[in-house]
Amino acid sequence: MSAATATPHGARATTARPGPAFGRVVAAEGTKLLSLRSPWWAAAVTVVVAGVITYLSAEASSVDPGFEPLDSLSTGLALAHLGPLVLGVLVGAGEFRTGASRTTFTLVPRRWPVLAAQVLVTAAFALGTAVLATAASVLGILPSAASRGITVDLTSDDTPGLVLGMVLFLVALALFGLALGALLRRTVPALVTGLLVVVILPVVLTTAGDPLVSGADPASTGLAGPPTTVLGTLAVLSPGGAAQLMTTSASAGPMSGTPDLGPVGGGLVFAAWVLVVLVAAAVRLRARDVR
Amino acid sequence: MIEVEALTKRYGSTTAVDGLTFTAPPGTVTGFLGPNGAGKSTTMRVVVGLERPTSGTATIHGRRYADLPAPLHAVGVMLDARSVHPGRTAYKHLLAMAQTHGISKARVREVIAQTGLEPAAHRRAGTFSLGMGQRLGIAGALLGDPATLILDEPVNGLDPDGVLWVRRLVRDLAAEGRTVLLSSHLMHELALCADRVVIIGRGRLLADAPVKEIVERSERAGTVRVRTPDPEPLTRELVASGAQVTPQEGGVLHVRGASVDDVGTAARRCGATVLELGTESGSLEEAYLQLTGDAVEYRAADARGGAR
Repeated sequence: MSAATATPHGARATTARPGPAFGRVVAAEGTKLLSLRSPWWAAAVTVVVAGVITYLSAEASSVDPGFEPLDSLSTGLALAHLGPLVLGVLVGAGEFRTGASRTTFTLVPRRWPVLAAQVLVTAAFALGTAVLATAASVLGILPSAASRGITVDLTSDDTPGLVLGMVLFLVALALFGLALGALLRRTVPALVTGLLVVVILPVVLTTAGDPLVSGADPASTGLAGPPTTVLGTLAVLSPGGAAQLMTTSASAGPMSGTPDLGPVGGGLVFAAWVLVVLVAAAVRLRARDVR
Repeated sequence: MIEVEALTKRYGSTTAVDGLTFTAPPGTVTGFLGPNGAGKSTTMRVVVGLERPTSGTATIHGRRYADLPAPLHAVGVMLDARSVHPGRTAYKHLLAMAQTHGISKARVREVIAQTGLEPAAHRRAGTFSLGMGQRLGIAGALLGDPATLILDEPVNGLDPDGVLWVRRLVRDLAAEGRTVLLSSHLMHELALCADRVVIIGRGRLLADAPVKEIVERSERAGTVRVRTPDPEPLTRELVASGAQVTPQEGGVLHVRGASVDDVGTAARRCGATVLELGTESGSLEEAYLQLTGDAVEYRAADARGGAR
């Protein structure tokens, strides 16, 4: 009742007790991610879709005379990569959508350590998912390869690079989803934006940027290789276009009308996109109110 | 100790909090009272650093919330029962909170037991009733054994057992020397557990006084009910002292302009027998409504205008 009894607690508040050090925030974010069902669902769907689509695609191609099983290795990811994107969006936007952000940011008022911890935790979870999804893709091409009597050698030529690219591709998509979710703070707008820039935009730009579509003379595209177009260039520089390059072989060469960035170049461009959106999310996190 | 000084928070052209100044001292329960939409929650969100004030300051132990080295140990916060991911169990929610400050699992289990959450600890928070959600929110606020507690409408949705439990809990916490700021839109709730009340309406301070004073003020402003077999002498005595008396059926008098004490003393002076004496229930609420009434009406008019 009276202020006279206030001494013990008033005094104790000033003595140092451990605060939200970064390692602790990472542990907390890990607990939060693993204690929800949705990340596990996203991971399971990613792995299953990667395996099944790759299997179906390889089966379909196996009737071609020049069938090369490894060419089908990353086909499942064309669809399966949406899993990590959704996973990231759920982690990034889930806090704000549910109001859990009020709890989170009263515990860590500096806020940005939470985003950094989410990046680490999501990357780790996505890495596990990506390794399994890539393994499922490898399993997916084995039956068709066996039916044609071809042995699959993952150590040949650019295959190790391709496998690494596939894993990093899925991890990067999860981080891109996380960044979009954290920036937009709502699940549906973040998902729609993600689908637009990752799936739809590159298709539109690549199609419109094809020299044959944009009215170039087919004869002039002969010997010197296909010329690059502005739209084609934009297509590979778009988040989705750049990311897709990570799942191609270094020796595959560019799509018609696009510059040849290669898987490493594509990966770097996509990493830049992830970084840009993450920085925007971090700026918004620091500057704006949490409701 | 919570100090709010000249705090203003605007959203665009809407002013949610308007030059609010008050202090919640340690060792007391400070009630934070106002109609829904008066700016209580906004003030609390600014105090805990979720929102930035447009102007003015809010400090805890003299520091901005964001500058506290270990916020969970300094301030226990329960803002809204929906500050939990509905897909996470109560235990995991509290565990993740505890991990940010290196608090042990044993302490998590302790607050779960203290708030009566054991049967629901491993259920997902989305399945919780409002009352269970409130208990989870309070468990989170207690987790760091903080010297200051900020509780937004903690009795909202609680069953009668829970309401009594919260009242006793906040009294005990204050008795241990902690600062407790507790919001409610119910005057009688705060009258039962707060030492001081800060009343706001439309984001402005309307009153900041000990509960006792507000209770007395409202009793003076309210109606006293007295039942007596001798209405005539008592009426004469009361009217002579400046009160207004309205006779009711069964020897009951309604007296305005005099407190219960005044009426009792008057009865002794004129020798009237008193069979029953008390305030008409709700007078406390009335006093509060008188204070906040203008604020509420203005807001309702705003809303009508805004609806077009």
